[in-house]
Amino acid sequence: MAAVIALAVAGLLVLAMSGMFMGMAKSFTATVDKSPAHVMILPPQAEGLFGNNSGQPRRLIPTIYQHPDVLEVQPLNGSWAFWSNFPKDGQPAKGDGVQVVVVDPVKGAVTLPTDFSDEVIAALQQPFTVVVDRSSLNKLGVKVGDKAKMNGRTVTVGAVVDGYPSMFNSQVFVSYQTGKLIYVVDEGQRVGPLVVKIKDPSKAKQVADELNAMSHGQYKAWTRDQLSKSSQKSMLKEGGISMMIGFAVLVGIFIGIVITWQTLQGAIMANIKEFASLRALGVSMGALRLIIMELSFWVGVAGLTMTVFLTSLVAFAAHSAAVPMDFPLFIVIPVTIGLMLIAILSGLFSLGVLKKSQPADLLR
Amino acid sequence: MSQTHNGKMALSATGLGKSYKIGKVKQAVLKGVDFSAYHGQVTMVMGPSGSGKSTLIAALSGLMKPDEGEVIALGENLWKKKRGKIDKFRLDHCGFIFQGFNLFPALNATQQVEQVLKYQKVSHSEAHRRAVEVLEAVSLGHRLKQKPSELSGGEKQRVAIARALSKMPSLIFADEPTSALDSVSGQVVIKLLHQAAKERGAAVVVVTHDPRLEAYADRVIHMEDGKILSDNMVSEPPVLA
Repeated sequence: MAAVIALAVAGLLVLAMSGMFMGMAKSFTATVDKSPAHVMILPPQAEGLFGNNSGQPRRLIPTIYQHPDVLEVQPLNGSWAFWSNFPKDGQPAKGDGVQVVVVDPVKGAVTLPTDFSDEVIAALQQPFTVVVDRSSLNKLGVKVGDKAKMNGRTVTVGAVVDGYPSMFNSQVFVSYQTGKLIYVVDEGQRVGPLVVKIKDPSKAKQVADELNAMSHGQYKAWTRDQLSKSSQKSMLKEGGISMMIGFAVLVGIFIGIVITWQTLQGAIMANIKEFASLRALGVSMGALRLIIMELSFWVGVAGLTMTVFLTSLVAFAAHSAAVPMDFPLFIVIPVTIGLMLIAILSGLFSLGVLKKSQPADLLR
Repeated sequence: MSQTHNGKMALSATGLGKSYKIGKVKQAVLKGVDFSAYHGQVTMVMGPSGSGKSTLIAALSGLMKPDEGEVIALGENLWKKKRGKIDKFRLDHCGFIFQGFNLFPALNATQQVEQVLKYQKVSHSEAHRRAVEVLEAVSLGHRLKQKPSELSGGEKQRVAIARALSKMPSLIFADEPTSALDSVSGQVVIKLLHQAAKERGAAVVVVTHDPRLEAYADRVIHMEDGKILSDNMVSEPPVLA
């Protein structure tokens, strides 16, 4: 039982930590995942949504329209702004940089995330009204209906949305109009990523391929899925995230093997006389080894079951605290295999103590 | 050991010697012991602790290789065999009962017995049938589902006996089987061993220093300082076919 718990805790450690980091990585791509756009256009060398500061030329927009399936092309506008609240009595003053995301507050607009409710859209339609993520309220020191300052202009928090938490700067959604009023809309020659709506969403992959064929290396078209995954990956590649996950995995494996092995060994030692009596009765060493391996296999299975249970508890707790967590298969599967391996390895390590089951020792 | 008997020889050992190294001192615990045991007899080996009786039984049963001498068990030269073959020999022919009962705490009485039968390649249903039968024979028919923690010392030892008997062994070795038991439970246990010798024709070798058990012995051997002091045949071994 102790071995099962050790294994489950190791699994939980790895899964919860990596789940949290994956959740953070995913929160960066929330705007992509929830965009109604089917295809997105980025500079040719881009690996994801982030780190393309130089942007791409605005003149690309008409060339995208040349594809017969394209309905609408819009640049994703957004830039950094300075936020400060109006502290009420006893409330601390908060000042923070925020990431402004400019959307078209019209239902079905290509820049408007699909999960924005009518109420949120109506709020955005008011000038000087902004929308923030629920998890950012505290950080920004405001409630719905409060006023705050952005880039020196007074804005009102009109509504909140869920599912756009951010590891670094909070995200603030504004309409194009409000964006202009608080000086975040750039109408220069360079634009950010382009979002594209097409006639038949099921043909997104094909359209993206065709756009790439006609791009002459000036841009790269992505489907939403491709971009979301690639963005997450590039986040992992450059950020300290991969290091942290790697560390969690190492610690998890270490805890898993050492504790599971030791507890398994303890369990065998506790029954060493019983094993010795089986030896005396003629049960071969190989058969006893098999018992241990079978035992460690079941410890693995039980440990996995408990990991699933504990992790879902943690995920549930995280969800209620609006902390983003994500468990992509490419993490869950190796962890599952890893836990089983740990159990089996612990079993193998423990085989050594069986040598202590000398039946002659029972005679005294 | 010069006298000859009409019984069927189960075990015969000649010139057994064994010494242990304790620190730098080599201490002989068996000094050229000759020993024999017959089918259908309870042979009791008695002596003070340190007299070498446990070492003798270990050498006779294939648990510990003696430094010198040979053991002929059921007509086979035991210590000429390879380790795996000795294991197999014990699996096929030997039953053991120890002072500590050595039952797995997680298994109930029936499972303790079935577990051993499994390694004899007995089918599950047959193993179950035999386990119940042998547990009933040791008067534990009402305790089949109990785990060791729910059994008294005497009951645990009876489970251990059932485990040893279920294999239908020709050789049964018991090392101080009653020393952890009260006198009533001890009587029950020694009677069961006696019964195994009489009804099954097994050669039962009991190591003990409990004088109350002498009444059940067919033959009493006294040991001291690694040597046999006396060998007293109480009743002649039965003549078996």
